[in-house]
Amino acid sequence: MNAQRSIMLETTVSFLYWVMLGAALWLLLRGHNAPGGGFVAALVAVAATAACALVFGAPAARARLPFGPLGLSALGLALAAASGLPALALGQAFLTHWWGELAVGGLALKVSTVLLFDLGVALCVWGALGGFCLRLLEGVR
Amino acid sequence: MAQAALPAAPQAIWIRWAWLLPLALLPAVAGLPGEPASWSVPWVAPLGVRLGFAADGLARLFLLLVCGVGAAVLAYAPGYLRGHARLGQLMCLLIAFTLAMAGAILANDLLLLLLFWEATSVLSFLLVGFEHDNQDSRDSARQALLVTGAGGLALLAGIVLILLAAPGLRLGDLAHLDPAVLGDARFQAGVALVLAGAMTKSAQFPFHFWLPGAMAAPTPVSAYLHSATMVNLGVYVMARFDEAMGAVPWWEAALLAIGTVTALWGAVQAPRERDLKRILAWSTVSALGTLTVLIGLPNELGALAFAAFLLAHALYKAPLFFVAGNVDHATGTRLIDRMRGLRHGMPVTALAAVLAGLSMAGLPATVGFVAKDTIKAAKEVSGVLWMVEGASLLVSTVGVAIASVAAVRIFFGRPRHPAGHAPHEGGWRLALPPLALAGTGIVLGLFPGLAEPLVADAARMISPALGRGDASLETGWLLRIESFAVVWAVGAIVYAGWNRLHGLLDRLRFLDRAGPAAAYDAALRGLKQGAGSLARALQGRRLSRYLVATVVATVLLSAPWTVGLALPAPAPLGDGGAGVLVGCVTASLGAILAVRGRDTLGRLLGAGAVGAGSAVVFLFRGAPDLALTQLAVETVFVVVAAVALGRYRPGQGAGAAAARGGAWPIARLGAALAFGLLLGAVLLALSGRLQDSAMADYFLAQSVPQAHGRNVVNVIIVDFRALDTLGEIAVVMLAALAAWPLARRLPPGRSGG
Repeated sequence: MNAQRSIMLETTVSFLYWVMLGAALWLLLRGHNAPGGGFVAALVAVAATAACALVFGAPAARARLPFGPLGLSALGLALAAASGLPALALGQAFLTHWWGELAVGGLALKVSTVLLFDLGVALCVWGALGGFCLRLLEGVR
Repeated sequence: MAQAALPAAPQAIWIRWAWLLPLALLPAVAGLPGEPASWSVPWVAPLGVRLGFAADGLARLFLLLVCGVGAAVLAYAPGYLRGHARLGQLMCLLIAFTLAMAGAILANDLLLLLLFWEATSVLSFLLVGFEHDNQDSRDSARQALLVTGAGGLALLAGIVLILLAAPGLRLGDLAHLDPAVLGDARFQAGVALVLAGAMTKSAQFPFHFWLPGAMAAPTPVSAYLHSATMVNLGVYVMARFDEAMGAVPWWEAALLAIGTVTALWGAVQAPRERDLKRILAWSTVSALGTLTVLIGLPNELGALAFAAFLLAHALYKAPLFFVAGNVDHATGTRLIDRMRGLRHGMPVTALAAVLAGLSMAGLPATVGFVAKDTIKAAKEVSGVLWMVEGASLLVSTVGVAIASVAAVRIFFGRPRHPAGHAPHEGGWRLALPPLALAGTGIVLGLFPGLAEPLVADAARMISPALGRGDASLETGWLLRIESFAVVWAVGAIVYAGWNRLHGLLDRLRFLDRAGPAAAYDAALRGLKQGAGSLARALQGRRLSRYLVATVVATVLLSAPWTVGLALPAPAPLGDGGAGVLVGCVTASLGAILAVRGRDTLGRLLGAGAVGAGSAVVFLFRGAPDLALTQLAVETVFVVVAAVALGRYRPGQGAGAAAARGGAWPIARLGAALAFGLLLGAVLLALSGRLQDSAMADYFLAQSVPQAHGRNVVNVIIVDFRALDTLGEIAVVMLAALAAWPLARRLPPGRSGG
């Protein structure tokens, strides 16, 4: 933004960015059983990207998006599509989800292709909308 | 238009020999039965449309013209357009046109006729606009298409009416039509519309003007479509209906009036032109008028004269067009003032021109004379109005003069031609086809008995009462020689005074300003301007105007359907009612702020408050997922929009005035209120109807056992309807891709006008 920098904002946002992404991850993981899910998670992540862009400038925020906005979006789409492939291998309809349990240490973790799908949704929307916001903000001096 | 002599480029074998096909068909066509014979196979059974074809004497005569002139044209075109890059395309179009014409003539079902009829219109459009890098060509092609296309619509409407009055009627049934059907008003109206369609196709006044315009086509096309075949299609349909309609008074009166005016109009316009092709085109208009008059004559001899003149006209007009093409090809011009004495360089073409000219002038021992003689006899028997008689005298006179111009004026006298274009023959392909056609005219003139069965059988299809004995084409020319002599003499005088006549008629400029062609131009201009004004009125280049137009149109168009919608009875708010109220009040206040706010930021915050208020409502109505999403969307939107819009300076430019109410604030308020009320009522009514909850119950019951999830909304999104979601996120990504170039660095400092 302007040449006027705000130490307070910069400090807060550099910390808040990760908090927001953490909240997004939390929303994503709990989404199957409680309010949340991939799309909301993505919007929170977009808010984080926008905040970062407002304080540190669009290029800095863009650098923090893995694979760049469009790459991230494409990756998400690919993940979501890939989550439907195991079902094809098992002779079921595309996107029929698979559930299983993984024993990690003493914990029994539920894993599923649903989670992969939701992650894909989140990444795709984050990349697309976040990229669009960056694009708009890039035009602002 | 014509290419100068280029080194002989190799031509594909099918282009060189295509003309043999219609020529080989000639004997087969001539062998068709003179009595009606029909074939039919089912096609669109539910509509009762069959692929029904029928042949009889009338169809045979037309088919002979199509094949005979077609062979000449297909032989001529490769020579005329030698070396043209798109010669193959032209040949394909010409062959397709031949097939379409044959189909139209053989069609027995009315809808089948319409199909082929439209095919000839479209092919004519493509052929007239063949030189499509020329503005004139494109305009002429569009004009021809619009006029004949409108006629095609009239024909369609007419056919529908006729089929309503007489289901399953075919052209062949017209000969013995039920009197009850004939008296049906729908049938009469249908025939009137068919007549209108036929008038556009056959260039009858006031739809004639596309025909001279169509002279922008390459000469082979003019010779084929616009003299001998397509323009006769309308006349053909009139002839088909004449047998049934002959007893109806308005029909014959209409044909006589239309035909007479058309013939006169063509005769008056022809001497105003200097371009040989356009002169011939106007004389074709005149001849088509004469053909219409002959159909309208109430006696049997009229039918005979019609058939004879149809044949004679094709046999002299097509060669004259070829002659015009040859002259153009050799000298590079078609203006009759710029050439004289071409016979020295072009002896074969000159011979063809003279033979065709003799026939056109109706001198003895030509088929033209036979036709004129029959016409004369028919008119004598009918005792037509003196106006028709006088008009026909004038038309014949001008015809003699035109024939002299085409055959004598440019080929005899002291040689004169544009420098650098020594007259020469363009090879057998250019020289022989006109000679063959014109020569046929002379042979049939010397031995009318050869053509008699053809012509008589055709005439009998129009007037069955025509007896064997009456149908003789043997001319009693000594009987009527004196009236012919008058025509020839006056024609010669007209020819001698052609230039003076031209100067005189050239003063009739008001015809150009007030004629149908001018009306067409005005209509086309008006259409463009009207469309422009409408677009400018609706698309004000201002978002507020688009919005007003959309809102008003939506209200006006949907209001009639909202009358009688049942609104559900008000229900108590129940649990969380306070929260819902808070949400509603927040949203309402936000809306007011968004509209009446002082600056951009305030209005933006107001818009955000609307979203936040709805999120609160969702939260207290059992949709926490929706509430969460809504809140996140609103937050991101307000923040990003606030920054992006920050550089617009409010209070400057026209956009600001519009945003603050602009003109007609009360009207805008009314439109907004109406729209809001309408939308609210529709939503309320629809939500009252959502009684069927089978799907919801299923999802609620199966969410945990099948999909291991307690958040049903999320389970639906990622599992039950996962494929939908996959499509949606693909759309999100595509939208981002599409917006990518748009959103880049908006030009700074411009307020969104």
